[in-house]
Amino acid sequence: MKTVETAKLAIKELLEAGAEHAQCLAVRSAKRELNADAGQISLLRTTTDNELRLVALKNGRRGETLCNRTDAQSLKKAAREAVESALASQPDAAHAIAPESPAKTFSCGPKQPDAERMIARMEEYLAQSAKLFPSVIVEQAILDFTRSESVLLNSNGVVLVASRGVYSFMAVFTAKDGKASSSVNYTVMCTDNLDGELLGLGSLKTLMEQSAGQIYTHPVPGNFTGDIIVTPECLDNFLEFLTLRALRDGQLIAGTSVYKDKLGQRIASPGLTVSSRPAKMPGGYFITPDGYAAENVAIIKDGVLQNFLLSLYGSRKTGLKRVANAGGCCVIEPGGQSLAEMIKSVKKGVLLSRFSGGAPSDNGDFSGVAKNSYYIEEGKIRHPLSETMVSGNIPEMFKNILALSRERVNSGHSIYPWIKFGGMAISGK
Amino acid sequence: MADFSKYEGLLAGEGELRIQENRGTDIRLLNGNIVANASSSGGGTSARAYRDGCWGFASAPETGAAAAKSVINAAAENAQLLAARLKRGAGKLPGLPVSGTHDFSTKKPRRTRREMLDFARELDAYIAEKYPDLKSRMVRIYALDMEKTLLTSGGARAYSMTPRALVMVSLSCGGAAPADLSDWWGGFGEFGDRFSSPKRLYPQIDRLYGHLLCKASGIYPQGGIRECILGPELAGILAHEAIGHTVEADLVLGGSVAADKIGKKAASPLVTLVDFAHTALGKTCPVPVYIDDEGIEGRDAVIIEEGMLKTFLHNRESAAHFGAEPMGNARAYQFSDEPLIRMRNTAILPGKSALEEMTASIDDGYYFMKSSNGQADSTSEFMFGVPLGYEIKKGKLGRALRDTTISGVAFDVLGSVSMVSDEFCWTEGMCGKKQPIPVGMGGPAIKCRVNVGGR
Repeated sequence: MKTVETAKLAIKELLEAGAEHAQCLAVRSAKRELNADAGQISLLRTTTDNELRLVALKNGRRGETLCNRTDAQSLKKAAREAVESALASQPDAAHAIAPESPAKTFSCGPKQPDAERMIARMEEYLAQSAKLFPSVIVEQAILDFTRSESVLLNSNGVVLVASRGVYSFMAVFTAKDGKASSSVNYTVMCTDNLDGELLGLGSLKTLMEQSAGQIYTHPVPGNFTGDIIVTPECLDNFLEFLTLRALRDGQLIAGTSVYKDKLGQRIASPGLTVSSRPAKMPGGYFITPDGYAAENVAIIKDGVLQNFLLSLYGSRKTGLKRVANAGGCCVIEPGGQSLAEMIKSVKKGVLLSRFSGGAPSDNGDFSGVAKNSYYIEEGKIRHPLSETMVSGNIPEMFKNILALSRERVNSGHSIYPWIKFGGMAISGK
Repeated sequence: MADFSKYEGLLAGEGELRIQENRGTDIRLLNGNIVANASSSGGGTSARAYRDGCWGFASAPETGAAAAKSVINAAAENAQLLAARLKRGAGKLPGLPVSGTHDFSTKKPRRTRREMLDFARELDAYIAEKYPDLKSRMVRIYALDMEKTLLTSGGARAYSMTPRALVMVSLSCGGAAPADLSDWWGGFGEFGDRFSSPKRLYPQIDRLYGHLLCKASGIYPQGGIRECILGPELAGILAHEAIGHTVEADLVLGGSVAADKIGKKAASPLVTLVDFAHTALGKTCPVPVYIDDEGIEGRDAVIIEEGMLKTFLHNRESAAHFGAEPMGNARAYQFSDEPLIRMRNTAILPGKSALEEMTASIDDGYYFMKSSNGQADSTSEFMFGVPLGYEIKKGKLGRALRDTTISGVAFDVLGSVSMVSDEFCWTEGMCGKKQPIPVGMGGPAIKCRVNVGGR
């Protein structure tokens, strides 16, 4: 059965089982995945799967069933379960499905993997790594290609169809000298082609080069308040407090978000402009889980909060505007300084390349360990760090941005510059 | 119960065939609103083939003999493609296959969706009525059944149904110093076997609320290296994150600092650390693994014995590389996942000290009780988020702490252990390493020196 036929049958079964409103997201995916472990190709995988997400609304109550079987009998059973779940639930006027909209079809990326090239690129990457960075061990590298066909239908007449092909590459690596090891580092990138070397994706080459120099480390001297320059790979540790928590349904419905009354107000330094652009990125998406075509959305413009990231349910629950996508795929506009100039301007601080931190509290307090990072003093990088902690408050941090770099890194799922934050608590051993 | 007969004779060459289904329930009430009410099932067939030192894997969401044949052929083709290209060559993999059935399905009638929703609603109503000053409350029920049928070319025939059920509660208070705190209860077993009545959780919720109030008026700890007691939950996550991962053989080959420590001192002589397969201290562990996903019998791996590092954790391939025996650590999460080297139930064994005696021995330090998350890396440097703890002043517990983070180099921290409590408890969590997997983490309280992230 084709994906669209599966979705149509699921809607029919939901309505026949008693749903007053029904939605089905059906995704069929095929993945080819090449793995390397400890610097050697080790495993080739081919997997296929389905994802069916059936939603039933009845008397203002909502039930949901997820499954991966698409035969008629399994669909009937899943539909019945979704309706039974709804009946066992309680009414909530905020439950709804998306209103009718013009049918849309989207497509991007290759239809098939270039299997021969996947192996050749992986072999090339492993050989280059061994030659250029002999002290660095590629603990694991995974190159995969996923082709997915997604169909979202609902009983209001929404018909959204999307197909997407994307390569993803992840590398995990550690440098070793005798008995001494560096901290492990990693990066994940998406691309729609394998035209270039894997080592040329994102910041991979720089990160591996840095690993080789991070075997022998020291803490920062003492405790001080200073600047941190957060790298593009590390930025989500802080930005996701906003994009995954404080601007989302959970905290806004609960009323615990520090930004709940801040729409249209300044929440960050004037230089910060953040948007979410899922449709054009290789690691993006075309359809939102609540039944809309994804659009680009401004989140923060020149430091002013433009949009909450509320779903249809969150929007109806809070009375605030629904966001036109499902978040993620963030782009931060570049600043006016080069990274070199930003480092030169730091009197005492840290170049924060990876952060291992506890989950921030609801008010944004956080602390954690600087990993694969460097101590900066009088405008110069002094030494790689260990046993150094950074702490602060994320909402305050975004109000204390001192500079953004001209350079940015495109990982295929985000485009970020380096950002310099002032007034951070930094402590050594 | 498994029917192996329809799959017999399909495997040719070294390999495995696994038919698996994961079934889940997720219910969430946020301030009384049902914001999640979902059931899930994901199942299918997968095969893995080993040819001349290369692995091939394939999976499909169907089951039955035809699906099995298809994925077995695809896995073999993938392995052969790599083997022909890499011309690696490799010897036989070690490990004696075993067979068995381990079905932990409930013997009672299964709880219906309505009963589980009613359970969550009753808990939520109790919290709302008794603690109206809370800013927000979340009640969550999460259940996961993992049902696996495994056949290996070596002769293993294994069936398992391993359920787990959890109830989680998160509370937030507002005011001048907002604070939040969570806890969860349950673990191994189906919902009806773990939870008889919401009322039995009321005392735990009352304790959680009491801690939250203390935390709201709490202090930030002083940063730096401090003498501390890590409660059982933190000792367990230390065993898992900071030691367990560094001795997983794939990470050892990837550059872990533990590579050169076998047979050497890795901790205080008070510390013995074990990755239990299924039974510890006379009881079934939170995540019992009797037969792993390579068909190998689950046996305990003693990682540290009285301070000395004894072994790494292996699958069959790494065991061959290191000349060791596989102990049943190869585990896969979904039908579409290949088995990886994973911990099972990793714990520091209890000692002889009483917790009160340990507290009394500290003049100025901290008692850290809960962990929000944890990470460690190849150097064994770790970080744990600590959402609940108290200061210790002159041998007595003092003010509560606001959220903080502790860190250190695990082998150094375990080297500093000077007292180990005589009590022991397990916690359960999901470990991430390409795939998620349920794991048990256990321990007594330990007295040691760690780096505290303060203000």
